[in-house]
Amino acid sequence: MTIHRLTMLLGKVVPAILFGALFLGVWEWAVMFFELKPYFLTAPSSIWQQFTTNFALIRGAATVSGTNALVGLVAGTVLGVAMSFVLSRFGFLNQLITPLAVALNAIPIFVLVAVLNNMYSITSEIPRRIMVTLVVYFIVLVNVARGLTQVSPTHVELMRSYAASDVAILRKVRIPNAVPFLFTSLKIAAPAAVITAFVSEYFGGSQNGLGSRISSNIANSKNAAAWAYVLAACLLGLLFYTVSVAMESLNRKGGVKQ
Amino acid sequence: MTAVSVRNVSKVFNQGKPNQVDALSNVALDVKQGEFVSLIGPSGCGKSTLLRLVANLLEPTSGEVTVNGKTAAQARLDQDYGMAFQQAGLFDWRTVRKNIELPLELKGWDKQQRSARADEMLQLVQLPEFGDHYPWQLSGGMQQRIAIARALAAHPPLLLMDEPFGALDEMTREYMQGELLRICAATGTTVVFVTHSIPEAVYLSNRVVVMSPRPGRITKVVDVSLGGERNEDTRNRTAFFEAITAVREGLRGMHAAHVGLGNDDR
Repeated sequence: MTIHRLTMLLGKVVPAILFGALFLGVWEWAVMFFELKPYFLTAPSSIWQQFTTNFALIRGAATVSGTNALVGLVAGTVLGVAMSFVLSRFGFLNQLITPLAVALNAIPIFVLVAVLNNMYSITSEIPRRIMVTLVVYFIVLVNVARGLTQVSPTHVELMRSYAASDVAILRKVRIPNAVPFLFTSLKIAAPAAVITAFVSEYFGGSQNGLGSRISSNIANSKNAAAWAYVLAACLLGLLFYTVSVAMESLNRKGGVKQ
Repeated sequence: MTAVSVRNVSKVFNQGKPNQVDALSNVALDVKQGEFVSLIGPSGCGKSTLLRLVANLLEPTSGEVTVNGKTAAQARLDQDYGMAFQQAGLFDWRTVRKNIELPLELKGWDKQQRSARADEMLQLVQLPEFGDHYPWQLSGGMQQRIAIARALAAHPPLLLMDEPFGALDEMTREYMQGELLRICAATGTTVVFVTHSIPEAVYLSNRVVVMSPRPGRITKVVDVSLGGERNEDTRNRTAFFEAITAVREGLRGMHAAHVGLGNDDR
């Protein structure tokens, strides 16, 4: 049984690894064969070389961006869940706040970062964290509010036939119904948090995160180094996504149908 | 003693608005303790509305509903009835056992009492080995049996069912009808049962209440006297077919009246 599952897993993983290796090989070969200049395309080997030699710096930058993303992700999730409870309880607030939420969401992220940067000192990480919080907040709010309100009418009638209070309906129907929605929203919000953390760094502030390192390396024509930071950004995004998927599958083991 | 008493009940939705609907008009019905009564009629005849008035999920516009001699509202607060719907309505995040225990949780029973009762109910619906499964691991018929087990978990004297077998295939459906009769005989439960199916209504019921739409009202009540225990042979008996014909005529007469063919003095 376990051997069977292992071969199944290998059957899924091996083709992907082979394809990835082939892709990198063709890339490396193309750079050499066409003698592409580094500013046009850098070979994977020199990116990897930059990644390993600058690993301490890259790890430091990744920690800064990753911390911003994580703080914003947690804060945005907490606020989003809290607000979704308020909105699902008071329908009229929903009508007041939804247009505002849509309007806020329509503002290009850059504008807000620039404004937030003005509010705080130049070395502060707070504007970036607020920015991540905002992005995560809306994703979580919209999804969890849907989970709390879109419950099966049969379930609600059933609970009323048991003379269940609103609190009991919330605890036994609405919250369990919203849990899968929360994990789905985290799966969307986690990579979005990382991307927002990078992009926020393009608009001033300390030059300490992955996003600002990428832009400053490109400005100095250190293309391989810039690519090495891109690789780190990619890995950080993957880490966030993987953790959110793992959390979701742990929740599913609790018996909720996928 | 009457289990359910409906007196001169009318129900109007959206009263005074352009989309006003007269769902029920001057309906009267008594259901005796231990009786099985089916409500049958075309869509919009108010049979589900009538069931929800008995359940106190809706309030009548006029008239009075009593359940076990109490107001419908008090009966609901006391959980004097269990309810089952077309959708089994089981909670996917709860095991079968936890689903059955839900009404008992809400009544504040302790864990041991709940567990003992869940075992009893699983035995009653003959699914004792499925307590730790999740609902989505069960077939549609099994899910509906669990829903019935849940509805009866608190041993209510009355069971209200809204097309509970409507989504099942014909074979499962007939099997479930037999199961329901067996369970009701074992527990002495009174049943009010909404259905679209004439044979289903006749097979299950002591009385079939035929209803007509616009406005919803009772047009005919057919007494079904099949005598003794009902089993698969019952479906082949003359009395069974006679009762089916009587219900069908009740429904057809109303249809004829609707398209302007029938006698208005029936």
